[in-house]
Amino acid sequence: MPLIRGRRGSVAPGATPPPVLDDPDPESRWAAARALAGQADAVPELAAALRHETVPRVREAILTSLMRIGGSASAEAIVPCLRSEDAGLRAAAIEALQALPSAIAPMMAQLFSDPETDVRLLATELARNMKASDATRLLCDLIEHEPHPNVCAAAIEVLAEVGTPEALPVLERCSVRFALTPFLPFAISMAIARISGAEG
Amino acid sequence: MDDRDDGGSRAVRISSEEVERFCDFLYRRTGLSLSEGKRYFIDRRLEERIAATGSPSFRAYFSLLRADADHEIEFLINSFTVNETYFYREDHQLRCMTSNLLGTIVRQRPSGSTIRIWSIPCSTGEEPYSIALWLMENWPQVDNHNIEIVGSDIDTRALTAAANGIYGDRALMRLSRVIVDRYFKPIADGRHEIDEGLRNSIEFTRANVIDPKDMARYRDFDLIFCRNVLIYFDDASRRQAAENLYDCLRPGGYICLGHSESMSRISPLFSVCRFPDAIVYQKPEADHG
Amino acid sequence: MVEVDAAAKARILVVDDSSLVRLYYRSTLERAGFEVEQSINGIEAMERVLSQPIDLVIVDINMPRMDGLTFLRALRCGPSDISSLPALVVSTESEMRDIAEARASGANFYLVKPVAEAELVRHVCVLTGVSL
Repeated sequence: MPLIRGRRGSVAPGATPPPVLDDPDPESRWAAARALAGQADAVPELAAALRHETVPRVREAILTSLMRIGGSASAEAIVPCLRSEDAGLRAAAIEALQALPSAIAPMMAQLFSDPETDVRLLATELARNMKASDATRLLCDLIEHEPHPNVCAAAIEVLAEVGTPEALPVLERCSVRFALTPFLPFAISMAIARISGAEG
Repeated sequence: MDDRDDGGSRAVRISSEEVERFCDFLYRRTGLSLSEGKRYFIDRRLEERIAATGSPSFRAYFSLLRADADHEIEFLINSFTVNETYFYREDHQLRCMTSNLLGTIVRQRPSGSTIRIWSIPCSTGEEPYSIALWLMENWPQVDNHNIEIVGSDIDTRALTAAANGIYGDRALMRLSRVIVDRYFKPIADGRHEIDEGLRNSIEFTRANVIDPKDMARYRDFDLIFCRNVLIYFDDASRRQAAENLYDCLRPGGYICLGHSESMSRISPLFSVCRFPDAIVYQKPEADHG
Repeated sequence: MVEVDAAAKARILVVDDSSLVRLYYRSTLERAGFEVEQSINGIEAMERVLSQPIDLVIVDINMPRMDGLTFLRALRCGPSDISSLPALVVSTESEMRDIAEARASGANFYLVKPVAEAELVRHVCVLTGVSL
């Protein structure tokens, strides 16, 4: 019979030299990043590696490890990636930050008043995993002061999922402001319908 | 929000907007797409979960769901998908394995080396045994190669059952009479025991797909079936599992997910590969990084 | 509202992580006579274009797990039945370098969000060869 019972279905991890985060070989950097998951004192090392890592897979591993460590130091290491010109890195950073809601909560006000439009826009996603009342308050504050329609649209998208009725007057005001802007009236009316949508 | 029907029991009415909110959430988190024509089906399932969690309203339930309190996502997914295990489940992937994947795997491997296939989670064994049966019944080159099949699960009771290899009619329902007669023998209570040679040829081990230490003991697999488990995990756990599985595969190795699952909700580590019978995922061959 | 030849029924894949954006494009394009599929990021989009006939992809750039430009580059290197798919990028990014990068990744055309319905339909008609 060609089916053979594994002599090595599982194997003990072999003794190899410990991988390093600044190795020229991406395979080694990948392994090093993964090995540091859960090691809180590795945050500075991971943060430094994240700043100049160009291989997407290794970046993902660094971010996963920072996610697993958690805490505000990890969040602070990731936030600068929101300014990257690389769309993939920005998206990966937001994903990682979404897993750190308590670490990111004190940073939200600052992110929502960041001078860069992209940072404010991306940060709206971080409100999604928060308690509905907190998310609503933060997103409404943003919308009231936000000049850029795309940032408002991103905030409205999240409100459509998590928004409470407190958001309704803010959305109404927003719809007046952007009455002639494409898409915004549609998005606002959808969000209003979803938020007020309880029947009976 | 609350309503009372004739029976005097409380039933929560769900509005269209609430259903839309729910469907968008479910689609984003899991990839499950509920068609609008199934409103009745959706409402029924939602009402069950709202009642089961003691939620006074859809809004309260939705908050609970978003926070995944008490593993509600798992209960919810189970109420919307069929999650039974049986032999030859999702056999289009088994067909893809013999029609396409093994050909590539054989070409990539040094000749004479062992082909390694992993079923994780293997539950009570239907999946790894199905792989073995399918190979013997459907792969003309099966006798030309050594094949190692490993079945792993986090649940040791399931593993014990798998090693025992005893199944009822329901588990065998997709197997032809010929195959049942060939590989199983009837035992008491109308159940069947799978052939001893097969039982002895699968290695069953305990492993947790999220645990990097567990997973570090598994390397050099050509094909992994990881079906209907990742969909239940949160984003961080899915990423961890994906990275673990990546390291367990040879470059160019393949991974198959469950029919409702997609790497789009899990990880960008793998490439999407289309074959006539299935979409599967591949670890990149050369190291592009 | 622009109407298209009823026999056309070109299939459009909308790729955007925002559910409201997808809904907006879908309702606009369905009213204009197109069939619309959706995906939430580049990975799901790749699965869809590999599984069913699509005539045009409308792609956002900022999406989780696989951004729009990475998807486009993978599309252009993909099997011959998908590698030449027309691709319309619709993004919040408006700098010349973003547009240049999108073109270099394989975009056929680029629109900056938010997009008006008529503008969307006009571009979709041109890129699918459907007469206005």
